[in-house]
Amino acid sequence: MNKSASVVIIGGGISGCAIAYNLAKKGVKDVIIIEKEYLSSGATGRCGAGIRMQWGTEMNCRLAKYSVEFFETANEVLEYAGDVEFKQGGYLIIAATEKEVAQFQKNIKLQNSLGIPSRYITPQEAKEIVPHMDETQILGAAFNPKDGHLNPFHTTQAYADAAVRLGVEIMKYTEVTGIKVENGKIAGVQTDKGYISTPVVVNAAGGHAQIISEMVGVKLPLYSERHQILVTEAVEPMQGPMFMSFSQNIYCQQTPHGSFIMGRGDPTEPRDLRVTSSWEFLEEMAKTCIRFLPPLKDIRMVRQWAGLYNMSPDAQPIYGPVKDVEGFFLACGYSGHGFMFGPVTGVVVSESILGEEHTIPVDALSYDRFEKGELILEPSVV
Amino acid sequence: MIKTDIVVIGGGPAGICAAINAASSGAKVLLLDRDSQLGGQLIKQTHMFFGSQKQHASVRGIDIPGILVKEMEEYKDNIQIMLDATVLGIYEDGVLTIEKNDDYIKIKPKGIIVATGASEKFPAFPNNDLPGIYGAGAVQTLMNVYGVSPGKSVFMVGAGNIGLIVSYQLVQAGVEVKGVICRGPRYGGYAVHASKLKRIGVPIMPGHRVIHAHGKDKLERITLIKLDENKKEISGTEFDIETDVLCISTGLTPLGELLWQMGCEMKFIREFSGHVPVRNEELETTVPGVFVAGDVAGIEEASSAMVEGRLAGLCCAKKLGFTNPEYSSLKEDYLQQLHDLRSGPVGDGIRKGLAKIVV
Repeated sequence: MNKSASVVIIGGGISGCAIAYNLAKKGVKDVIIIEKEYLSSGATGRCGAGIRMQWGTEMNCRLAKYSVEFFETANEVLEYAGDVEFKQGGYLIIAATEKEVAQFQKNIKLQNSLGIPSRYITPQEAKEIVPHMDETQILGAAFNPKDGHLNPFHTTQAYADAAVRLGVEIMKYTEVTGIKVENGKIAGVQTDKGYISTPVVVNAAGGHAQIISEMVGVKLPLYSERHQILVTEAVEPMQGPMFMSFSQNIYCQQTPHGSFIMGRGDPTEPRDLRVTSSWEFLEEMAKTCIRFLPPLKDIRMVRQWAGLYNMSPDAQPIYGPVKDVEGFFLACGYSGHGFMFGPVTGVVVSESILGEEHTIPVDALSYDRFEKGELILEPSVV
Repeated sequence: MIKTDIVVIGGGPAGICAAINAASSGAKVLLLDRDSQLGGQLIKQTHMFFGSQKQHASVRGIDIPGILVKEMEEYKDNIQIMLDATVLGIYEDGVLTIEKNDDYIKIKPKGIIVATGASEKFPAFPNNDLPGIYGAGAVQTLMNVYGVSPGKSVFMVGAGNIGLIVSYQLVQAGVEVKGVICRGPRYGGYAVHASKLKRIGVPIMPGHRVIHAHGKDKLERITLIKLDENKKEISGTEFDIETDVLCISTGLTPLGELLWQMGCEMKFIREFSGHVPVRNEELETTVPGVFVAGDVAGIEEASSAMVEGRLAGLCCAKKLGFTNPEYSSLKEDYLQQLHDLRSGPVGDGIRKGLAKIVV
């Protein structure tokens, strides 16, 4: 079954759906999303779903702030029949080393200058916010009450529903097998369900973005890293904020319905696109969690899973065109924070495609920053 | 971490037989069950078995585990049994994690035989979670394991062998059985079971289904509707029956979660009532060293589950280098027994299912 489209977006996660929605809202007809499985089946649906504005670069602070402000009104703006379940219980990022203390104080200055209401707090103040923590394990913490947690399935569905109402077509269980380039320009996309002729392809393929790019001969400096998560049984609400440590490799959040989810990655693992689970994760995660949040030792875990971080050399996304292949746009390399940047991704990538000026300047996140050696290293990632 | 040659998951008829045959071939076996006794569903089956002598025909289900456990004692140096042990997961490196009395245990076997059995299917209708609505397995457990009557009056949904047998047992236990329904135009179980019920005056009513359950705190009443020969509802034929227990016996579906987790190729096979693993004649799945036996491989019955268990145990051990001196003749015998059990019109569906799943 062959067809044509004005834009083909590869990937039915938050990025793909947000880009499609923004294009359709600006009046672009014949936008198609191709998704290998079902919506949110990749990194979006597998992520820890934390939303934070506490970053160490001005760029990421701006991207995050824009997205948080969108999430606050997402149900209304997207006219969603459900609820994206945005819980703004804050992020408590603990400092376990002197280096982190210094870094956080620097970060907070930057964040405050951009209107992000974060503050540095003492171990005792942290204990007041998360009473079940062992405050003797930390030197201090950064806290922003406006950070939080969001349901990735509902949020993606909200974008997808709105996009479909505006005429976007979503092809699920459809796999891209090749991309046709003629005279340096995108000509079409080959899928296992037929060929789609199109002048524009957006690579929003998450953990598989480097594979998609190779189809047009572009070698992205990206690799995917497995991150694992466990979820516990639901208990009474007891923890408002996300509890997080960069140096100790933990994030742990209580979701609105009461279960705790916590996760981490292991950078030494083979980079083989696996999303299976390991028992080593379970044991290490539980040990770390109990060290900082001792009462959680009595809660039963019910499930674990894994997903892929699409890692870029400076832990920041890659947005925009690729100069050697006209019509090929990138929305990848999020390094673990693609879900929380979904709204801004949708806006800036649709603007790139239409040649419009960016709402937030993201030229510094273009693909050629790697060629020029102009990396903007993000120090605050887990 | 416990190391062993073969882990058998599930101590029902298939799992016990798998453990016996793996151990008799020389492999060290660890047999796991989440219940506190071996036997699986046999421990509640007070009726006598059919089939041939080799599969314990004319013996009551509850007596079979004892016979098998006695046989297992011959190989006690090779078999370790762990009860109250629930398998939590099987990981990418072949490690199993287990919960036993709140302890967390890890096991690394060389081969795995999955004999986890099946779970009951439950039809959807409003209020189907009211207290008083049971699966037939739960009714049998109450009655035959604990000696507790499920209620004063029972209405049975499903007229396969389990529905018919449990209805008869309920009457024997002094419970009023108000009727047995099924959706098709004829009951599905053996005529011998249906005739017994008819003789004692329990109405078997083909061509009906439950569309609603009623009651405040527990079941008081159900609404039935008549179905035409295509199982379509005939409007205007609804009627109510008062009962304090509704027993659901609408079939089983294989419990294949662990197989999915290990990445075994699974296929939906209608004749086997769910997703079952693709496997070869020796019952090895598409994941090398992982074998299956019994209902998890496709809903059948306990006789064939026992033979499958023996075959899987024999072949899994062989795969690991423990070759039974009588390997060839035993294998041929088990395959012949399975062939015989599945012959005739009753085995039609099973044979069709096998043709789609055995490679």
